[in-house]
Amino acid sequence: MGTPVEFRYLKYALIKRTLRPLLMRTFRKMLIVAGSLLAICALAATELLAPGFRPVPPDVHALVGATVVVKPGQVISNATIVLRGGKIEKVGVNISIPPDARVWNLKSNTVYAGFIDAYLTLSSTGSPDAGGKKDRNELTAGVKFFGVPGGERDPGNPGPGSELPAITPERRMAKTFAPESKSLESLRELGFTTANVVPDKGILRGTSVFVALGETDPNRAIMRADVFQHVGFEEGVKEDAYPESLMGVVAAIRQNFFDAQHAALRSADGHVRSAAGVDGGSDYNPAIEALIPAVKKQITVAFEPRSALMVDRAARVAREIGLDFCIVSSGQEWRRPDLAKSAAVPFIVPVNFPEAPKLPTDDDWTQVSLDQLRAWDWAPENAALLRRQNLQIALTTFGLEDKKVFRKNLKLAIERGLTEADALAALTTVPAKLCGLDNQVGTIEAGKLANLTVVNGKGYFDPESKVQSVWIEGRFYRTDFEEPKSDSKADDKKDEETKPTTATPKVVEPEKSPAPEPTEAEKSEKSAKAKSEPEKSDKEKVSKDKKPEPPKPRVARSPLDGRGPLTNAGAILIEHATIWTCAKDGILTNASILIENGKISQVGNFSYDRDGDELVIDAKGEHVTPGLIDCHNHSMILGDVNEGTIPSTAMVRIGDVVNSETPNIYEQLAGGLTACSLLHGSANPIGGQNQVIKLRDGASPEDLKFAAAPQGIKFALGENVKQSNWGEKYKTRFPQTRMGVETFIGNRFIAAQRYLKQWDDYKGTSADGSPKSKSDAAKIPPRRDLELEAIVEILQGKRWIHSHSYRQDEILMLLRLMQSFGVQVGTFQHVLEGYKVAEELADGKVGGSTFADWWAYKFEVYDAIPYNGSLMRERGVVVSFNSDSSDLARHLNLEAAKAVKYGGTPEVEALKFVTLNPAKQLRIDKYVGSIEVGKDADLAIWNKNPLDSSSMCLQTWIDGKKYFDHDQSKQRFVAIDKERAALIEKAKKSAKGDSDKDGSGAAKKKFFEVSLEHRYDGKVRHCTEDEQ
Amino acid sequence: MKVRSMFKVQGSMFSVILGCSLFALTASAEQLLLRNGIVHTVTGATLNPGDVLIENGKIKEVSAHIESSASAIDLKGQHLYPGMIALDTSLGLTELSGVRSTLDEREVGDFVPDVKSWVAVNPDSELLPVARANGVTHIEPAPQGNIAAGQSGLVVLDGWTSEQMAYKKPIALHVYWPDMDLDLTPKEKVKDKAKWKSPEDQAKERTNKLKALDDFFQDARAYTVARDVAKTNAAVDPGRNPSWEAMRPFVRAELPITVHADDVREIKAAVKWADTNHFKIIIAGGRDSWMTADLLAQKNIPVIWEHTYQQPAHDYESYESHYAAPEKLRKAGVKVIFSLGGSTFIASLIKNLPYEAAQAVAFGLPEDEAIKGVTLYPAQAAGVADKLGSIEPGKDATLFACDGSILDLRAKVHHVWIAGKEMSLESRHTRLYNKYKKRP
Repeated sequence: MGTPVEFRYLKYALIKRTLRPLLMRTFRKMLIVAGSLLAICALAATELLAPGFRPVPPDVHALVGATVVVKPGQVISNATIVLRGGKIEKVGVNISIPPDARVWNLKSNTVYAGFIDAYLTLSSTGSPDAGGKKDRNELTAGVKFFGVPGGERDPGNPGPGSELPAITPERRMAKTFAPESKSLESLRELGFTTANVVPDKGILRGTSVFVALGETDPNRAIMRADVFQHVGFEEGVKEDAYPESLMGVVAAIRQNFFDAQHAALRSADGHVRSAAGVDGGSDYNPAIEALIPAVKKQITVAFEPRSALMVDRAARVAREIGLDFCIVSSGQEWRRPDLAKSAAVPFIVPVNFPEAPKLPTDDDWTQVSLDQLRAWDWAPENAALLRRQNLQIALTTFGLEDKKVFRKNLKLAIERGLTEADALAALTTVPAKLCGLDNQVGTIEAGKLANLTVVNGKGYFDPESKVQSVWIEGRFYRTDFEEPKSDSKADDKKDEETKPTTATPKVVEPEKSPAPEPTEAEKSEKSAKAKSEPEKSDKEKVSKDKKPEPPKPRVARSPLDGRGPLTNAGAILIEHATIWTCAKDGILTNASILIENGKISQVGNFSYDRDGDELVIDAKGEHVTPGLIDCHNHSMILGDVNEGTIPSTAMVRIGDVVNSETPNIYEQLAGGLTACSLLHGSANPIGGQNQVIKLRDGASPEDLKFAAAPQGIKFALGENVKQSNWGEKYKTRFPQTRMGVETFIGNRFIAAQRYLKQWDDYKGTSADGSPKSKSDAAKIPPRRDLELEAIVEILQGKRWIHSHSYRQDEILMLLRLMQSFGVQVGTFQHVLEGYKVAEELADGKVGGSTFADWWAYKFEVYDAIPYNGSLMRERGVVVSFNSDSSDLARHLNLEAAKAVKYGGTPEVEALKFVTLNPAKQLRIDKYVGSIEVGKDADLAIWNKNPLDSSSMCLQTWIDGKKYFDHDQSKQRFVAIDKERAALIEKAKKSAKGDSDKDGSGAAKKKFFEVSLEHRYDGKVRHCTEDEQ
Repeated sequence: MKVRSMFKVQGSMFSVILGCSLFALTASAEQLLLRNGIVHTVTGATLNPGDVLIENGKIKEVSAHIESSASAIDLKGQHLYPGMIALDTSLGLTELSGVRSTLDEREVGDFVPDVKSWVAVNPDSELLPVARANGVTHIEPAPQGNIAAGQSGLVVLDGWTSEQMAYKKPIALHVYWPDMDLDLTPKEKVKDKAKWKSPEDQAKERTNKLKALDDFFQDARAYTVARDVAKTNAAVDPGRNPSWEAMRPFVRAELPITVHADDVREIKAAVKWADTNHFKIIIAGGRDSWMTADLLAQKNIPVIWEHTYQQPAHDYESYESHYAAPEKLRKAGVKVIFSLGGSTFIASLIKNLPYEAAQAVAFGLPEDEAIKGVTLYPAQAAGVADKLGSIEPGKDATLFACDGSILDLRAKVHHVWIAGKEMSLESRHTRLYNKYKKRP
């Protein structure tokens, strides 16, 4: 691109590299003093540069004859704008042109307030500080744990700050803003005049800076430093460094903000070291200090959740901590508009849409997932969809490798329902407000900065029209370098002759934003389409000469279509069934179940007065069992199953990363499963916190949670935690032996006891709850340590241990170690040698949750036998069979049948292995696990005895609602087939040109991206995943 | 570790049985009568009740009632089936999948047709008795690897040595069809950026790989012809080359090539290749085979189906697509053989073979087809249907008796005979069970 000819002086940027530091700054500082003096005298004077530089032009301009969009919805035709001293002096019609102004004829142009990109990443500024950080992991060969290093106590990073490589909240883009003129030029060509430059790498990333996009000294370009603190849910920033998993990321974010809250208290307290400063909580940490403004709500926190589901997590974490926040859209909120809506904060929305690729052969389309096709078809509609959720949106060029496609994609978004008024607001007023600069930018009003975007032709939203120029603080930047066509002048003249020179201002009332749209409509393609039509006509009010484009309808359905309960009857009567009560009644034949309000209200043979509103199910010849329960499942976890970096990750929570969108839910419902315990993997002795869910397909992650289930945590023993099969690289993390596992866990429990004592001291209570006198040192509370908090909950009996285990020695080790802390272990998981220590397990009242027959896949399971479940049961252990596999979880009834075959467990008892017993082990048997009056109506209906391997699940019910029906599932997949065929046809049609030969075609690459929610589709999920 | 010899135990049990019957028989005709069973002949009608007379390790007579003075076992209420045959497994070549030193299933090299699985079977593997105790009497340990990975033999789960256990060798050449899946990972998500390739480039590479595979077979065919011609002195003998020599029965279509292919593109390409070259192939894996069932039926290619219990591979497939696939294939006219596949993890669970078929029955497959899929069809594929796979006079007396349908997980196997010899049902599992059952 060329250079604005008139203002070649601006290219002093080139000279300034050498001269500026001394010369320019000195001059300018002097001038600023002089300028402010002059301003008092109301004399306009531009900066006086030293000889040799292109002198600064006069700064009074009159832009006449343009259509001026003062703000979204308010348009003045044939208006005049007067600029003076970098600001807007006047705007309107019938304005006399000041005699000192340079006059610009902008007939047949539209002038907008200069556009604002609220989330600009600049490669030259966006990368993390090089060389500054060295994470602890490198120092200890992949071993990192607070207080439990591989050898000597780890000194951490060479400098102050967080020891975690991805935690750099102290970074300030205001310190490193160093734009290349080329990147600024490309933004101006799109009409942008200001932007918020953001740090785009890491988890706690640092603060952004709001800048003018002119060619000027960065110091002058900066309009506001520290606009937002930035948080990204970015997994695996550094291999083997905590936090590597998504749940670890959330845990790290929480801990750091809590630390900042604590630091804020301490700084209020004069930064004294607390007497109990043994945990590092009283250190000075610049990373933590940098977060204090955020926890005090002095700065907005911009969360980049990077997926539709994590929008909800971001909002919940922000509210938990008490932050002012906004959200950077992943472009995928269409997956769950409800979550975006409930976040109820502004969204910064990219327009980086995928583009359909060409594939070598037709059959190659078989490997393109339905979800990829949907993501492609939905992408342009996402902005409109967010508006329909009553959300404020700001548009950004973020994510566009080639910024040139911004306007083309914006057009697509408008075609798919975004009104032009909303689009304009998303480029001006909304980002201005969001960045706290709405008193300076965002509208064309007197007193604001002279930031303008000038577009010819039909206006900005017609990609054919060119951005002629932008004005930044009163300075003109040409952006269209094409020679004007010869006949255009004639046209102009003709216009001048025919059009009246003055016009009454035509003011269109600003749209009462936001556009009303019921959320229910998001679920239905039809209603969404129907609504987009009136929006289109709204938009035509704004630019009346615009011809409507032929709409490009969406073919993809919402992924929520066809999910959710299939019934909504308040009362359900199941008759003539064989009922496996899993309670004292055993198996009832030709019996009935009455369900009312989601609970079982009668079972057996009872008389019931029908009122005609109830749903009656004739289950003649069919078997009804309690919904199956899986005590060990990893299928509905977003991101990695393991935070396998450090040996205790008690602070990470599966509850933060429940995946409500995986097809695993439906597949497992189809096997009669109604509830499961989602467990952290087995990569470390103390793993993360579990989450018990019900498989209410279609519900949000929070609504999947089994609210009444007590909390638990995963522990693990043996080969996995001592990294036996991880490869040669992994030989230095403590522990490497079964001896060390015992030592390690003991250490953390002692640490937790000490932590608890700190709190007791602070609260003035002793361990037995009796009051104690407060010491002076405990004026402020101890630092919250989320790892130890979880272990304290174990000590207090509020959190149950579910420990992965194989060998009998390690089983006894944990059992005895926990007993020494007064802790009753909840369950041993796998517990494949449980049969060797069944007495001890029964005495310790510990549940055994085992595989039915897995064995011989590694050395520690060579003694596993399929009789394990039967033997443990015979000796008084509460036994369950679990899946630990998204395959097995689809037919746990058949796993239960193996207890009948091996060891002769009676059938009634065998079924309890996958119903009542896991409910007992998870301490949810008050609610589920058997068919008894008062329990939740979680049921599975089978065509024959469910322990017969040729049986089939017909229906699955949760809380008295049907979530799976074998017959109805056929329609579900017919609809999917149809949708997919239409999507492929559309994609093939729209694929143009060569496919992406060098991998640089950003949009085509994006097509193949796999969303976080579907990353593990079709892959078996189990507890050693990601380890090896 | 101490491995107890179970074959000693079997041997002595066998002699006890013989001891009982010897006095009633002539020395040359060792007979055993299995009485009153529910006899699943597989090829004919099920006899309920039925008798089976065994003589010299072979089935002599099958009938509703056999008058015989032979020593008899009353199987009242028990189901009698031909021994099950597990094709495409790493059982025999694997002990603990996580312990490298115990693995012998995979060689290095793309073209190693002279690798033979039956020479590396460990007769004392603790895994074998577990499979046998549930009625699996023959297995096909299959070499794994790339392209032409080696030859498999059929191994009987009885014998003192690996030689004695090699029932038929070879039975198939194992070809792992080149991966035709495109890696569509966006470039920035690829760890080693230099390795990223565009879909076009991958498509070219894919074509090249198929050509390389085909070239190998054309070379093998040329070698075969050259050697044949040399015998007539019409040309110079190219000299014995063990790799090419190993290929002879397969390029001549005397023996089948087991093509391991899951993706529909791979299956289609393999079928086309076999058709062009008149090779006899069997598709193993066959994950997407149901998508192209008609083609497979038309070309008369059986499928070793290994995905019953595996989740659907694509998000647009019904939850039941793999449960229902065997019936889809059968309806189209494809013979479906059940297998748990060659993963070393699953080698310890080959005992569960019949339940792969049972789950397909739940989703529509007729029961008799399910039974054939674990007996007769694998026998045919292995080229041993004259001796195994059904209960018919003249075939091996390789049978098992079960107290329910073998398709029902709850049913227990009570007797297993291999060539007329009753096998011990003891295993590492039962030994540990009995030991700890007695723990005071």
